[in-house]
Amino acid sequence: MDFSVRNLSYKYSKEGKPVLDDVSFSIEQGKVTAIVGPSGCGKSTLLEILSGVIPTLISNGELSGTFDKPDDSLISVVSQTPENQLFGYGVEDAIAFGLENMGIPQAEIAQRMDYVLDLLSLQYLRSRSVANLSGGQRQAVCIASVLAMQPDILIMDEPVSSLDPNGKRLVQMVLKQISLDGNTVILVDNNLVWSAGIVDHIIGMLDGKVVFDGSKEEFFQDFELQHRLGVIIPQEVEIYRGLLPHFPDLKMFYTVEDGLTQLAEMVDTKLFTQEKPEPDEDEENIISVHNLEKVFNDNFHALIDVNANIPGGKIVAILGQNGSGKTTFVKHLNGLYKPTSGDVRYKGQSLLEKSVAQISRNIILVFQHPEHMLFEETVEAELTFCARQQGIPFTKEKITEVLEKNNMLEDRETFPLNLSMGKKHILTILSVLFSSADVIILDEPTLGMDGFLMEELENLIQHLKAQGKTVIVISHEIPMVFRNVDHAIILNKGKKIFQGSRQELAHRDDIFDSIHISMPPVVVMSKALGFDRICYNVADFVEQAKTLKRKEAE
Amino acid sequence: MDYLKYVDSNSFLHKLDPRTKFAFFVVMAVLTSVIKSFVALAFLLVFFMVIWKSCHIGTHILTLLSKLKILLIFIFLLWLVLGLFQLPKVEGGPVFYKTTFSWVGQQHIFCFDWYDFYKGAVYSLRIFLMISSFYTVLLTTNFSEMILGLRKWHIPYSVAFAIGLVFQIIPITIKELQAIMDAQSSRGLEIDKCNWATKVKNYVTFSFPLLFRVLSKGQSISLAMHYYKLDFSVKRTAYKIIRASRLDVYFVAANIVAIAITIVLRVMFYIPV
Repeated sequence: MDFSVRNLSYKYSKEGKPVLDDVSFSIEQGKVTAIVGPSGCGKSTLLEILSGVIPTLISNGELSGTFDKPDDSLISVVSQTPENQLFGYGVEDAIAFGLENMGIPQAEIAQRMDYVLDLLSLQYLRSRSVANLSGGQRQAVCIASVLAMQPDILIMDEPVSSLDPNGKRLVQMVLKQISLDGNTVILVDNNLVWSAGIVDHIIGMLDGKVVFDGSKEEFFQDFELQHRLGVIIPQEVEIYRGLLPHFPDLKMFYTVEDGLTQLAEMVDTKLFTQEKPEPDEDEENIISVHNLEKVFNDNFHALIDVNANIPGGKIVAILGQNGSGKTTFVKHLNGLYKPTSGDVRYKGQSLLEKSVAQISRNIILVFQHPEHMLFEETVEAELTFCARQQGIPFTKEKITEVLEKNNMLEDRETFPLNLSMGKKHILTILSVLFSSADVIILDEPTLGMDGFLMEELENLIQHLKAQGKTVIVISHEIPMVFRNVDHAIILNKGKKIFQGSRQELAHRDDIFDSIHISMPPVVVMSKALGFDRICYNVADFVEQAKTLKRKEAE
Repeated sequence: MDYLKYVDSNSFLHKLDPRTKFAFFVVMAVLTSVIKSFVALAFLLVFFMVIWKSCHIGTHILTLLSKLKILLIFIFLLWLVLGLFQLPKVEGGPVFYKTTFSWVGQQHIFCFDWYDFYKGAVYSLRIFLMISSFYTVLLTTNFSEMILGLRKWHIPYSVAFAIGLVFQIIPITIKELQAIMDAQSSRGLEIDKCNWATKVKNYVTFSFPLLFRVLSKGQSISLAMHYYKLDFSVKRTAYKIIRASRLDVYFVAANIVAIAITIVLRVMFYIPV
């Protein structure tokens, strides 16, 4: 069965500019094809055309070209937010929904349900309610519900963008199983970190045009293109990219093990002997948390006797799987939650009697979904919202300066909700620059960001630190966390299991094992190769590797 | 607002055919709007309490009661105040204060007596029983079962699906509103320590992002309906089939007995209100 897109062009209105411009490519049957490209490149529009949303539901645009597919072929989609896609209270109800709509007889529905639940190893979820599933489980059920319809093409739109490492691992496993089973899958995602091992074919898009159509191996060799498309690639590939000019015999590697095997023959390895650093006792804490307990109305014990200190002027990461208590913890810092017992102090003063708005003069929480925060009519008004609420003066020049520095000057009069997801996130963080707060909490700030925006975000976080502000980041992007933070707190099942500097954290493989999160490849590899110091970013890793390069490798 | 959600459990009420529970709500709604005897209503309350206890939803009903307390107190006081200007319709019982006064050229009675309390209590209890019978069904029937039940009553699938969707969306919308309120207060908007006028103004402010979130959710849901090939003009099949069981028979029998006792009590202890 062949599927091919021929000379596809699309405009949302006759007067508008083309979102897709003469797009042509073929979809290989039984393979996983990834469509990559920066925000606004036309990926989502292409998805809407492939899935039939355009022109079935959106019919006022101008479409030319063809999507050649056999008659009666079924194409279905798994979206990035399964809670908006799953219909039905229980897992069985949700999986049966599409099949019932197709008029499949009851006995066959039961058969197909068994098949997909077995295939994806999800039988254990069968009698659960959808509302009680974790993000990863929900996404896996969503994939099962679509797969049960036996689509000819399964399209997955950023399926792991809102998942924690456990959820990503589950969806990764599910995708692997689907591809082994010979299903045709299209993955629309600019983050190839989790799917690099599974993808076969990559289509790169830029400004509505196809700029790359080839194998995964070819794509990962084209460093300039990866950068141009803002694709987030596995850190292993980044390391390879950095090392290649100095180690020309190095072959592409996608795993830490493969990289270590090759490098062990090219650098002088030694046993990692660096001593565990001592905790810094002289740090001045801006926030201190004492015996914090939180029990919700349904008797769920979300935080259990948490004692923690946030050092001032530092970047602090809060890590842990979903449900570990991270968001509950930070919501106590800005007063959204009041503790069941215990205390939270800012510069020694208890915050318990203050309202959230009063606390926001010192501590601001930037939410995970920017749509919850944006409600002004223009980007400029949104930018100054906090300042106006707090009575902080600002100037037009300052607004221009901030927008210009963050590539948003042309969006000044734009309606904020029309921005891309990544830009919305940047805007909510930028508005904090105009407030009086000196502690900024960012809850999952990388959601929906491509490589370019991620770089901007990291610069912004460093800029806030340079201004003397304390930045607390909740994130599942572990390489990004290690590149930027000074300090970390790890929560597991409501308990604090670690607090210390980045250096101390890098020594605690045991903690990472216990919470099922992997350390970044640069940390693992620099320790395994016995570098003089642990590396937290690729540039440092390359520098260290160069100094240990064996003579015969030169 | 979590108290509005279905409670996942395996009690006998959860196991009943949804149609039996819908019928229970309809019958109780009619009964409580007809019966105005405090003794009969008090018996119904006891009957309901037995159901709640056996289904382990008592704490949820208490939460509902705490949410409704302002409304119930208002109804109680409203009928109490209205009763101050009437004489009791039955003889006897304590009268705490009685006088007459003239207003706009007419003579009026002011009589503060036991009957004012009685009327207030009857009307509050009727409202509470009416709401709690609906709430009992809501707590023990998930939206998928509601759709199945309505389809069995030959309600068109488009209507049944829309009703089920409402119950699926309500908790999501409430969660969204809470998240928006939290996000805005985190950015400095005072919603805790302010007067009611500011609170009202803030709610108007929140409605804007909420509208966009709800529209965006609506769009996602319509896309999902497209992905799952939902077409109301095509005949659907059903994976799950609901059937009345012996439990339904027991429940209906218990209700018939309770209704009969309620009617007898109403006849025996009737005080016109």
